[in-house]
Amino acid sequence: MQAIKNAVRNDVEIRNVIKKFGSTTVLNGIDLEVRQGELLTLLGPSGCGKTTTLNLIAGFLEADEGDVYIKGKNVTHIPPYKRDLGMVFQTYSLFPHMTIYENLDFGLKLRKVAKADKERRIDSALHLVKMSGLEHRYPRELSGGQRQRVAIARALVVEPELLLLDEPLSNLDAKLRHELRVEIKRLQKEIGVTTIFVTHDQEEALSLSDRVVVMNGGKIEQISSPTTIYNHPETEFVFQFIGKSNCFHGTVTATDSQKISVQLEDGWGTFVDADNVMGADRTCRTGDQVKLYIRPEKLFITPSDQAQPGPFHKATITQMNYLGASWEIDVALIGKPVQILTPMYDASWQIGKEVMIGWNPSDIMLIKK
Amino acid sequence: MESVRHYAHQEVTQESPLNPKQETEPEKGSQRKKKKTYVPGLLLLLPILLFIFGFFVVPMLYILYLSFIYTDSPTATNAVFSLKNYMLFFSDSYYLSSLWITVKVSLYTVLVSLLLGYPVALTMAKSSPRVRGYIALLIAAPLLVSIVVRNFGWYLLLLPNGTINSVLASLGIIDSPLKLLFSEIGVIIGLSNAYLPFMILAIATSLYNIDPSLERASAILGASPLRSFFSVTLPLSLPGIVSGCVLVFSMSMSAYVTPALMGGANVPMMPVVAYDQINNLLRWTFGSALSYVLLATTMIMVTVFTRGFEKSKFREVFR
Repeated sequence: MQAIKNAVRNDVEIRNVIKKFGSTTVLNGIDLEVRQGELLTLLGPSGCGKTTTLNLIAGFLEADEGDVYIKGKNVTHIPPYKRDLGMVFQTYSLFPHMTIYENLDFGLKLRKVAKADKERRIDSALHLVKMSGLEHRYPRELSGGQRQRVAIARALVVEPELLLLDEPLSNLDAKLRHELRVEIKRLQKEIGVTTIFVTHDQEEALSLSDRVVVMNGGKIEQISSPTTIYNHPETEFVFQFIGKSNCFHGTVTATDSQKISVQLEDGWGTFVDADNVMGADRTCRTGDQVKLYIRPEKLFITPSDQAQPGPFHKATITQMNYLGASWEIDVALIGKPVQILTPMYDASWQIGKEVMIGWNPSDIMLIKK
Repeated sequence: MESVRHYAHQEVTQESPLNPKQETEPEKGSQRKKKKTYVPGLLLLLPILLFIFGFFVVPMLYILYLSFIYTDSPTATNAVFSLKNYMLFFSDSYYLSSLWITVKVSLYTVLVSLLLGYPVALTMAKSSPRVRGYIALLIAAPLLVSIVVRNFGWYLLLLPNGTINSVLASLGIIDSPLKLLFSEIGVIIGLSNAYLPFMILAIATSLYNIDPSLERASAILGASPLRSFFSVTLPLSLPGIVSGCVLVFSMSMSAYVTPALMGGANVPMMPVVAYDQINNLLRWTFGSALSYVLLATTMIMVTVFTRGFEKSKFREVFR
C-alpha cells in the first residue's frame, strides 16, 4: 500500500501561486510538488518567499492567485485548523501555561482521541524525541533544545498529513543545532512523514534534504538533490548562494559536444565540461562573453617547483588562515584574488611565496554574461 | 482625608504583585549596573523618599493613631485610647451596609469594565502599531476631561427626564422612567466609564506579550479561532486581567467624586461616609477608623484575589 502511494503521489502541489503584500509581490508564480515521504527544504535568503510559501501550505496566508493541494485536495481557501498538519516554529511556541503532557494532549483532545490511546501516543512521541519522563514539567523548566524536541513531539503526536518546520534550529547554539538536525533526519526517515523544512542555512539544507528548493526574489531558482544543487547549480544565484565561489571572466573560443574552450581575460585558457553550462538554455557559442565559477575546495595547490599535468597556473600566496580541519589560502592569480580551501599543508607555503594552482575541467561552471 | 483616599489605592497597588514583567525588568537593569549606580541611585531617590515619608507615611500613621482615639463629642476633652471607634463601626448596620455597598459597587464596576474592556484590548493587540496608537488615544481622551464635568455629562443622559429615559419612553419600552441616577447603577456606570481605560491598557499590555506564534501553533493543531482564544489567549492574558481588576477595584473602593455625585445619599459608599463624618460631623477619629476599615478591606480582598490566581492551575502564567 505504502509503496504504491510512494510511486504516484505528490503530497503537496502548488500551482502557479502569486502572493502580494500591498504592492510588493512576495511570490511570483510558484510551482512546486512535494513527493510523499520526502524531506524537502525551502532554502533562500531572507525575503525570498520561503516562509510565505510555508505559510500558504499551513494556511496562515491565502494565495492571491493559484491553488494549493494537500494530498490531492484543494486547500487554497481552507483555514489552518482544518488542514490536519504538524508544525514546528522557530520560537518553539509551546503553550507556557501547560505541562509538556498537556501540550502534547492539546491536539489529541481536539481530535477526540480515546484516553488509553492518547497516553500511548504521547508516551511514544516523547520517547521518539528522547524526552520521556518530563511530562509534568512546564516549558519554562526546559532548555531551548529540550523545548524544540517537545515541539517536534507535539507536531508528530497528532500523526499529521504533513510536517512543516519553520527554521526550527535557528534559535539554538551551533552544537545543539547539529545534534537536533541529525535527530530530525532520523525521525523523518523513521516515521516517513512528508516534511517541508524552511531554512536560510545552506549546510542545514544540504545535510537534511532529499531535495532542496532554492528560492530567490519570490521565484524558484532550482529544485534538485543536495549534491546536484552544490555541484551542478543551474543558475548563477544558486552557485553564489550555496558555498563559496571564485569567479573568472573570459570568452568562448571553441565548443564541441564534450568540451568548451574558454580564453580568460588574462590570456590563458581552460576547458569546461559541456554539461557545466548554467543559465536558462544551458548552451553557449563561440565568441560568447562568459563567467567561470569554481569552488575554493575544487582548486588544487602545489609547490611551484613541481611540474604538473593539466591546466596549472602560477599564483602568489597573499593570506593563509588555519581553520582546524583545513587551510583557507588566498592567492593572487595574475593580479586577481582567488580563494583555495585545502586539507593539505606544505611547510614551504608562506605569504609571498609562489605556488601552482590547478583545477579539473569538470569542476568549473560556466554562464553567459 | 483627601490625601488618605488618594494614597490608599496607590499603596495597595504598590504592594500587590501586579504585572510581574514590569517588576522584574527594572531589577535586571539594576543588577547589571549595580556597582556603578547603586550609591548615586539612592541619592537620587532621597527627595522622593523624604517626601513620601513626610507627607504619606507620617500622616497615615497619625490617622491610624487617631482611629484608636475615642471621644464622646467633637469638642469633648476626655479622649481615651480604645477600640471603640471600630466597635462602633462593626455594631452599626448603617456602616456595615455602607461597606457592603462599597464592595458590591466596586465588584460590579470591575465586572463591567472587564467585559467592556477585554474586546477593546484584544482589538488593540491585533491591530497594527499605528491603529493601536489611535485606539490608545481614544481610550485616554476621556481622562483629559475633569471627572466632575464627566459626571454632570452623565446627568444629562441618566436623569428621569434625561436622554436615555426619554428615548426608552418614546419607544414605548418603559412606562415610568428608570432610576438610573442616584442609584447603584448610576455609580457603576460612572465608575466603569472613569476606570475603563486602566482596565483596557492593563489587559492590552499582557496581550502584547503573548508570542503570536502560539495562536498559530494552536490553529495548526486543530483549534478554531474561538477555541484558541479560550485555551491559549485568555489564560495567557490572566496577568493583565488580574492587574486590571486590582487597579479598577482599588480605585473604585476609594472613589469619592463619582459616588457623591452619581449616587448621592442613596449610595453611601465608604469614602463619602468618611468624608461626611470628618467634614460635616467633625468626628475625626471615627472618620479615621472608617478609612482604615476601607483600606484593610481593599488590601485583604486584593491579596486574596491575586494569591488565589497565583496558586491556581494557572500559576505558571504568573511566573
